[in-house]
Amino acid sequence: MTAGGSGTAPEGSGTAPGEGGTAAEGTAPGGAGVATATGPGIGRTGGPEGAGALPAWGLVAGAVSAVLVATAFGAAEAVPGIALPGPLVEYGLPVLRVLLDLAAVAVVGLSFLPRLLGFDDPDRTEPVMRRARPLAVSFAWAWAVLALLTIVFLTAELNAGAVPTPGMVAEYVNEVGAGQGLLFSAACALAYAGIGLLAVRFGEKVPAELRIVIALFGLLPIPVTGHAVESVWHDPIMISMELHVLGAAAWTGGLAVIALLVARDRELLARVLPGFSRLATLALIVVGVSGLVNGLATMALTPGVALPGDLLSSEYGLLVLVKVALTALLVPLAAQIRFRLLPRIERREGTAVAGWAAAEVTVMGMAYGIAVALTTAQIPPA
Amino acid sequence: MLRLLTVVLLAGVALLGTVAPARAHNVLIGSDPEDGARLATAPEKITLTFDQAVRQGFAQITVTGPDGTRWEEGKTAVNGEKASVAVRPLGPAGEYVVGYRILSSDGHPVADTLKFTLTAPGPGTASQPATDPPPTAAPPSTPDLSAQAAEAAQNGGAGMAVVWIVGALVVLGGATVVALRRTRDREEAK
Repeated sequence: MTAGGSGTAPEGSGTAPGEGGTAAEGTAPGGAGVATATGPGIGRTGGPEGAGALPAWGLVAGAVSAVLVATAFGAAEAVPGIALPGPLVEYGLPVLRVLLDLAAVAVVGLSFLPRLLGFDDPDRTEPVMRRARPLAVSFAWAWAVLALLTIVFLTAELNAGAVPTPGMVAEYVNEVGAGQGLLFSAACALAYAGIGLLAVRFGEKVPAELRIVIALFGLLPIPVTGHAVESVWHDPIMISMELHVLGAAAWTGGLAVIALLVARDRELLARVLPGFSRLATLALIVVGVSGLVNGLATMALTPGVALPGDLLSSEYGLLVLVKVALTALLVPLAAQIRFRLLPRIERREGTAVAGWAAAEVTVMGMAYGIAVALTTAQIPPA
Repeated sequence: MLRLLTVVLLAGVALLGTVAPARAHNVLIGSDPEDGARLATAPEKITLTFDQAVRQGFAQITVTGPDGTRWEEGKTAVNGEKASVAVRPLGPAGEYVVGYRILSSDGHPVADTLKFTLTAPGPGTASQPATDPPPTAAPPSTPDLSAQAAEAAQNGGAGMAVVWIVGALVVLGGATVVALRRTRDREEAK
């Protein structure tokens, strides 16, 4: 409620700050003119939306297809006499979960964008930010709505065979930690939408750090909806899991946003990409190590699991192996951008970086799809 | 940036203390009778033992006979790591399937089956199950009116909260759309 209140406030008092906005925006259209003049004309003119959105479609298509395949692979067999969730819930829930993850990733990436672009050259960065800020608000809304829908679907999954009523949803949130985690995440997303709306109106006077912190905060409860292990190792595993989620979101979101919004402007790309490349290398290490620790530790601490062998014989182990393979696949793609394309980008030459980034982001989307299947996979071998 | 991440992480760790921490899927570690057991005398009760506590209120166990008849009696009881259900005297010899679905401590439902074989027929007859409603999580189709009223009173407040939240979201979402559109219009007007 408070989030929404702050979100609607600038609209109510819209006329007063409107004047301030006029002055600030007066410079911006000029900036847009500069960008079109010096930027590579290709991106702006010929069918920019279709080709330009490739990374976004790759991310979504990779994620949804991976999660559907993994869900079909791990489909629960019928249990006589017990109502199991119907196909709408069985397949709808994982798809909702992965779309929720992607909306959050988009918000995180868009939040990091002002930090990556820097604040020194508003004439050049402001046109990009003017597209990014409303997008961030929309994705934050998508995040909140998807999180709440996921709660409804989780309730339907638990009460298989019945259409969830508001009372059942309330009971679910009351009883199950996943419901509370998602509710908190949705609240963070709404708070973000409110602050994002302020940023749409007032530009970078709204601190970028505030948006980053709220977006990352909203990510934190998401691992609560997956599984960790009850043991003395619980807390270290949870911290490792949080690092995994934060690292993956910053990496995927940052790359997707750069490919979508910055790649057309060679000059801006040359300034942004070296910094992001360092962040991405760090993220690759953090995500890889924490992912391995989580997967192996969760298996090792589950009773009845003999480790090296059960990697191949249990659903969970196989999904861990698929994720390791996808991470390995990311390495050459990332290396191509880092070592082949980056020197040319720094010389302001045209490159196929958007295509390579689209490929990398698609693989990341698949990893997200597998991650969602992993949260509900059965650990002991069948 | 690093300082920022440190702050977020520390805050996250603090937060984890308050949000109920995730725990694992429950794993079945034992059962009575055991999976695949061959029994000469019918069990009076099926007990499933998990590696950690089972959540109250959502557990279901069923026993299905060789001819598809259901043999469990009454509701599934949960006691710590154990979930159990009483069984009527079993009838024909053959393979019986025990199905279960419980809510793990991490909030995910876990369902599976195990089997046991009755080698000698028991005294039970299949005439009873018609009067024995299948225990599902869904409320019974003809609930006692007073029980329904009590449930509504218990859930009414919380259920209404859900309705209010949805209503508030619709209003806020509409306001956001209007705000974004007006900003865009003003920029285009320049």
